[in-house]
Amino acid sequence: MLRFLTRRALGAIVILFLLVLLTYLAVMSLPVDQAMLNCPKGCSPQQLAIVRHNMGLDKSNFEQVLDYVKGLFVGASHGADGFCNAPCLGYSQSRHQFVIDVIMDNYPATIMLALGGSVCFLVIGVTLGMVSAWKQGSLFDTIASSFSQLGQSTQIFFVAPLAMALFVTNLHWLDKPGYTPFTEDPISSITGMILPWLVLSIIFWSNYTRQVRSLMIEQLSEDHIRAARAKGMSNRYVWWRYALRGAMAPIVTIFGLDLGVVLSGAVITEVSFGIHGLGMLAVKSVTAQDTQLELGVLLFSAAAILVFNIVVDAAYGLLDPRVRIG
Amino acid sequence: MRLRKAAYVPAMLAISALSLTACSSGHNNKVSGDGAKSEVQNFGLGTAADSTGPAKDVAGAKPGGTAHGIESAGFDYLDPGQIYVNEYQAVSQLYSRTLTNYKVDPATGKTILVGDMATDTGKESDEGKTWTYTLKDGLKFEDGSPITSKDIKYSVERLYADYQDQGPTYVQTWLSGADYRKVYAGPYDGKDLGDDVIGTPDDKTIVFHFKEAHADAPYAMAMPNITAIQKSKDDKEKYNDHPVSIGPYKIASYEKDKSLKLVKNPNWDPKSDPIRHQYVDSWEFELGITNPLLTQRLIAGNGDDKNALTLVQNADNPSIAKIQGDLASYKDRLINKFQPFVDTFDINNTRVKDPKVRKALALAFPRAQVQKLLGGSATGDVANNLVSPTVAGWKDSDPLGLKAKPEGDPDAAKALLKEAGAENYPIVLAYANTPRWQPVAAAIQEALNNSGFKVERKELDPTSYYSTIGKKDNGFDLYRTGWGADWPQISTVVPPTLDGRTIADGSPNYTHYNSDAVNAEIDRINKIPDVKQAADEWMKLADKALLDTPKIPLTYDKFYQVYGAGLGGVAYNEVIGATDISSIFVK
Repeated sequence: MLRFLTRRALGAIVILFLLVLLTYLAVMSLPVDQAMLNCPKGCSPQQLAIVRHNMGLDKSNFEQVLDYVKGLFVGASHGADGFCNAPCLGYSQSRHQFVIDVIMDNYPATIMLALGGSVCFLVIGVTLGMVSAWKQGSLFDTIASSFSQLGQSTQIFFVAPLAMALFVTNLHWLDKPGYTPFTEDPISSITGMILPWLVLSIIFWSNYTRQVRSLMIEQLSEDHIRAARAKGMSNRYVWWRYALRGAMAPIVTIFGLDLGVVLSGAVITEVSFGIHGLGMLAVKSVTAQDTQLELGVLLFSAAAILVFNIVVDAAYGLLDPRVRIG
Repeated sequence: MRLRKAAYVPAMLAISALSLTACSSGHNNKVSGDGAKSEVQNFGLGTAADSTGPAKDVAGAKPGGTAHGIESAGFDYLDPGQIYVNEYQAVSQLYSRTLTNYKVDPATGKTILVGDMATDTGKESDEGKTWTYTLKDGLKFEDGSPITSKDIKYSVERLYADYQDQGPTYVQTWLSGADYRKVYAGPYDGKDLGDDVIGTPDDKTIVFHFKEAHADAPYAMAMPNITAIQKSKDDKEKYNDHPVSIGPYKIASYEKDKSLKLVKNPNWDPKSDPIRHQYVDSWEFELGITNPLLTQRLIAGNGDDKNALTLVQNADNPSIAKIQGDLASYKDRLINKFQPFVDTFDINNTRVKDPKVRKALALAFPRAQVQKLLGGSATGDVANNLVSPTVAGWKDSDPLGLKAKPEGDPDAAKALLKEAGAENYPIVLAYANTPRWQPVAAAIQEALNNSGFKVERKELDPTSYYSTIGKKDNGFDLYRTGWGADWPQISTVVPPTLDGRTIADGSPNYTHYNSDAVNAEIDRINKIPDVKQAADEWMKLADKALLDTPKIPLTYDKFYQVYGAGLGGVAYNEVIGATDISSIFVK
């Protein structure tokens, strides 16, 4: 296991390094003069030159990439802001902060959204899938399947404003959505996230319902299940002890990957509900044309996904003895 | 004032029916906009008496409570030295002050320039080259230490430092020339600007010695970076996180891009301030809320949102329709005013050299259709010249004769093109590739093609729109821009946008228009010592330049937004183009 984790971690570092180079080169190849974008109204040649210098854009492309990579390994300093320890993800021109500090400011909101949302879509999706499999062909099964299809075909940018208008503006059932740190105000922290959690879960739980339903039905027709029943084991016991366990391995894989995705920033949900997480930060970095912030968010998100990929691979081996990791 | 460049593209919304009341200019001009009539205010200079505090009480106002702000963007700059964007300028009114400033009467909307920290709008000498200001009594920093003329001088000195790259540069340039950073590198190495540049003969007096006469100096002193900065608290770039208050509120907490909380500053003396009140106990701004959500919340007014407003964000188009559909419910909490911005379609004069072709473009241009696509009168009135009605000297002029046919005149355009021998003239139309501008570009293409042009559309990345069209060799013929006066004088409209000597990458002269006659006129009018006389001359020059059709006037922009029903004293500052929050109270 240790060898497996070491190998995967090294692979992840290489991927991240290549990602830095490719992204930086891609950004530099764009025909955008970031100094001009940041030059204030009435921009004069003198003002443009100062802005270019302050943004470090008066250096060659090679020097800029070298500075960035150097910062990743040995850290970097920036004027009055002091020193940024390695791995330094650069300096955000739009936020006037080190990128790692900006990300750490925003990441708790993403964690809160991702954890709550994933609990919602896992619980709702798996429960509906199991009941549908249990009551296969029933009215419940038909309704659950229909809702799954509806959920899969819907979009957060469509559901979020509707949910806002209905539950917040018109019915006044829920408080305005938003992130409050749990340590600051636990009640507001949860009430402000109920709507985002539920909306985020909509596009995910339908997949779980369909997967769990089909996996359970498939498991129930397996030989070992029939054998267990033939031995006189109760339906309930067979269901929980054998069928569910067999169905869970693929579900854990999907869940791990989904969690990695939402932990790397649920862009549309965060923007729709004004939650200052990694996803919203990604959007802001692009609209502000803040290259180093874009890179930092990209790297951090990629790292989150890679970490969860490794965790899922490791967990798979533990859940299914047939899969050996070494 | 300035909109953030990124905001230009998705923004530029507003609406009609406004009331800009006249003051010192003594004349009211009526503007027609889809049937709505409005009075145009030409902002003037207040007297020493107008500059005396405390500010007049607002009827029905009571102390206490928390006012809330909901903003779509973050406050990137809180350091007054770096503030230029209208949104930052609006919020800075709470914690910062300038030598002069705009006093808005929330009851009438009447706006005049008065002394803010200074006792009046300034005394000129040496034929307008020297301006002297006297500080009021009772001015203090938030720690209670007194503000002296040296603190004002220091606030200007630090503007010379390299890191100060975002604020206006008028005063520095007037004092030390366009290369002012080469003359003086800022105060951080212990050197100061000589007394021959800025004199501080005593703690109350500050004297600015400009290289040339500047009749506009009282307005320039209202720029947010002409303020007082406490030298001992200035830690350069980091000062942006914790500016020291000299206004009625001080910063209690600030989370970048997320929130800003301000509480009362006990060391602010209302007797020194003719503009601001300190009715509410605190201000809480929520940042980064997308516009449809922001407006929905203001409309709904649930919980804290009942006491909320937004500074510069117009309502989104669907919300405007909702508000207009039930105007009776919202009229008591609706802001509906002109902004200082004028939207134009700029013609690249280095590519389209023939004035007749440019005039034909203007004649063919479907201004009314574009205005309608942008939201009709909700986004602004169709403009016939290059100056906003909020600017002194504005007249409802129509130099190109476009008013009669705002939908365009294809026959006249075709005839002019034929006369110029330029039938089927190719035009490259650049536009920001957003849902807002795509249909506009299509409408323009169709109208111009029907008028004898051959239009090719080029969509541009909206996030880098201004850097793309801002290149001298941008490769396009026609593109939209917007410009707002920095103060209500055309001296901040014509020279920056039409002076051919400023053409450069990034320059706001996006048309690359260069006329020796206009350049000479700019120099002449700049020397006129009387701002009222200059205002009329500037308007004439703006119209004269437009006869060469460097650009096509599109709309006089307007602001349209509701605020929470729980707030009182809400006004609009038409000079900076933002909600005025100096007199807000919670009902």
